Amino acid sequence: MFRASRLALAHYWVAFGLFLPAVVLGAWQMLMRSPLPAPLDDSNLYYASVTLHGTVMAYVLTTFFVMGFGYAVTATSLGRPIRGMGAAWIGFGICLVGTLMAAATIVAGRASVLYTFYPPLLASAWFYGGVFLLVGGSMIWVVLMILNMSLWKREHPGSPVPLAMFAITATACLWAWTASGVAVELLGVILPAVFGMTRQIDAGLARTLFSVTLHAIVYFWLMPAYIAFYALLPQVAGGRLYSDKMARLVFIMFLVFSLPVGMHHLFADPEHGVGFKFLQTVFTFFVVLPTLLTVFSICASLEIAGRARGGRGLFGWIGALPWREPMMLASGLSLLMLGLGGFGGLINMSYAMNSMIHNTSWVTAHFHLIFGGTVVIMYFAIAYEMWPRLTGRPLRSKALARWQLWSWFWGMLITTIPWHIAGLMGQPRRVANFDYSIPDVARTAVLVDVSVAGGVILLCSALLLIFILVRSHFVASSDARVGDPAPISALGYALAVYPPLRVPAALNGFALWNVIVLVLVVAAYGYPIGQFFFLKPHSAPAYDVTRE
Amino acid sequence: MTSHANRVRGFALGWSRNSWMLLVGLSVVAFGLGFLVVGRFRLDGPPLGTFAAFCRSLGLDADLAPAGEPQPPLRTPSGVAWTANTLDFIAAGDATHGAFVAMNCGACHGIDGISHSALVPTLAGLDAAVIYKQLADYRSDKRLWGVMNALAKALSPQDAADVAAHYARLPGGLPAVTGLDRPAGGRSLRQTDPALRLVFAGDPARGIAPCGVCHGPSGYKIGAPALWRQGADYLERQTAAFATGARANDIDEQMRTIAAQLTPEEMLAVAVFYATPPAVGAQRPGGLNSGF
Repeated sequence: MFRASRLALAHYWVAFGLFLPAVVLGAWQMLMRSPLPAPLDDSNLYYASVTLHGTVMAYVLTTFFVMGFGYAVTATSLGRPIRGMGAAWIGFGICLVGTLMAAATIVAGRASVLYTFYPPLLASAWFYGGVFLLVGGSMIWVVLMILNMSLWKREHPGSPVPLAMFAITATACLWAWTASGVAVELLGVILPAVFGMTRQIDAGLARTLFSVTLHAIVYFWLMPAYIAFYALLPQVAGGRLYSDKMARLVFIMFLVFSLPVGMHHLFADPEHGVGFKFLQTVFTFFVVLPTLLTVFSICASLEIAGRARGGRGLFGWIGALPWREPMMLASGLSLLMLGLGGFGGLINMSYAMNSMIHNTSWVTAHFHLIFGGTVVIMYFAIAYEMWPRLTGRPLRSKALARWQLWSWFWGMLITTIPWHIAGLMGQPRRVANFDYSIPDVARTAVLVDVSVAGGVILLCSALLLIFILVRSHFVASSDARVGDPAPISALGYALAVYPPLRVPAALNGFALWNVIVLVLVVAAYGYPIGQFFFLKPHSAPAYDVTRE
Repeated sequence: MTSHANRVRGFALGWSRNSWMLLVGLSVVAFGLGFLVVGRFRLDGPPLGTFAAFCRSLGLDADLAPAGEPQPPLRTPSGVAWTANTLDFIAAGDATHGAFVAMNCGACHGIDGISHSALVPTLAGLDAAVIYKQLADYRSDKRLWGVMNALAKALSPQDAADVAAHYARLPGGLPAVTGLDRPAGGRSLRQTDPALRLVFAGDPARGIAPCGVCHGPSGYKIGAPALWRQGADYLERQTAAFATGARANDIDEQMRTIAAQLTPEEMLAVAVFYATPPAVGAQRPGGLNSGF
């Protein structure tokens, strides 16, 4: 178990260690876009910075955090050492090397193509190679999650796999499917151009392949938050999970409905017809199902806890919940942001309404609120929950942690709400410099200034996070039990109201669901991808951003 | 036991069958709506028939077919395309032979490639691809300037590549791109000086990209001449020619689009700025000064 602790901690530290500089970059980018004076006012630096910020937040923070979380969940929920520890460390090493390769290339100014690559822009091979290693290395994690669950199932025939393990394996399956799009894009379209085998890039094909990844990856990021909602939160609140089977169904639905939906990022792409855009819109709407099931399930679980703690009346149970616990507080704030961001998302995914906000700042604001807010605040809460169990030292302190969570929440709202409005007013995204002397642009100046203030709050909050984590891990306190690390098996998972004795095979494994995903992906993407090879083989000359 | 196992198996089969039925049903409804209903209705015309709607839903629009109306004849701005072959051909230019060819040019462009005439550009230090393209355009009458058309027609493409290589390597002329991407002090978009603003920030409201990202000092795009220390009169004249369409050999029509939006004062300001660069960035000793 101690070895699992070290493994999980290594992953968490890489994730949060790079998270802090990425927040600094984000705050600077906000300043750069604003009418206020910014240090290092330089458009080229801005795009390099956006690339690094996006790459770290979207690929590095998430992948390392989820992997670390996965190892911790495996060791604790199955209650035995992880099988394949050596492979896990090798995977960690590959991901770390890939991360450093990509980051160094971006810092050198040779990969300013943003984290979504934007072909036919072409960056240095080291950047793509780094991202490929990072994604490829995480596939070892995928295999280990599936392997650990399968071995456990073989040794416990008929027993339901613990919910947390089931959910993290769903996450692993989802990640494998998700990464397939970007992996095929890199191998099939971009790397041949980087290595000079072709000088043309089919941007439509590349974008379509990336769209396979582009939305599902969001659910991959989201999964740890949902696992915390289902497996950790009811326990922290002092209650029980409303339904174990419903939780399994939710994770399965995320797996099934995350994949055939990415084309709602391509509504303005002319290569695709209205039929497939509409089809994927419909599938996208079905993601609402697991989301609403979760809101219902979690509220029910919390009501059970609140009433068990003596809450009375229609809403009295809410006040009775232990809001001083970071996990409890973060979950409440996270669900609030999920509500706001989710309704914004309904607009993005609607084929007709999307044209109001396509490629405006609304979209950037939306994914910051959903990912930076809803998801990342739960990463913080998970870290606070796990830190004492991984390091054997108490969290120092819960009060500081509450400050950090609240400041992150307010910072995120203050940043993203004006940002949404600026987008509605037509402010385009991915622009380094705005000319505020133009009257139409000048109208957004105040909004952008408010967003800058939010960015500063977020930066302070991120500093506080690192301070808390470092202090809890490395600085000995008077009451610390130095040298006496608690095994991470002490991590408690919520029991269901009716703990399952048996579950149907469909809710205890992923064979059926992976086949269904395959069929849906072929139905939703077969023609849209295939047409590029037969009907619309248009390529554009690659534009090498590293050329001087 | 048997009945229990049967029940469990039946339960499992139920999950599988129901999931498939739900998803197939959902897909059929979504496909039906997407391909037969949504594809039918258009903003800009009457509803389509079933087959046309299906094709439109697949992305097979009328836009894909050749246009039925007669199109104006194509006018090609330049015979040069920046293919790998062209770039390799230019890069392989022989500067020694180029020096021999350049004996035709020195009378106007200066024996050292540094022009002393307001009408004639300095060639020393100019990118080889730029010189090669202009010679090719003169040869094919895509750019018109009496004597140059006659001279270029006397040169083979190989001669053009060679002389381009020769001038590109001549020292003391146009300075290299420095990568300087903002004026000394302050943000580029806040400049009140129209030249600094246009060179470093462009004018987003008019869709004008910064001059400097293609012509230096901040960046370089293939085929675009570096302008620092080029003659002000020459630059102003060329900008005006692009604005009226008298010169039209810019491949993507970018210079005609931009120049047509500039006022005469802005053309002059930018030309003067480039001819007399401020004392920032790399300055080569012995280079041009504004006194020519």
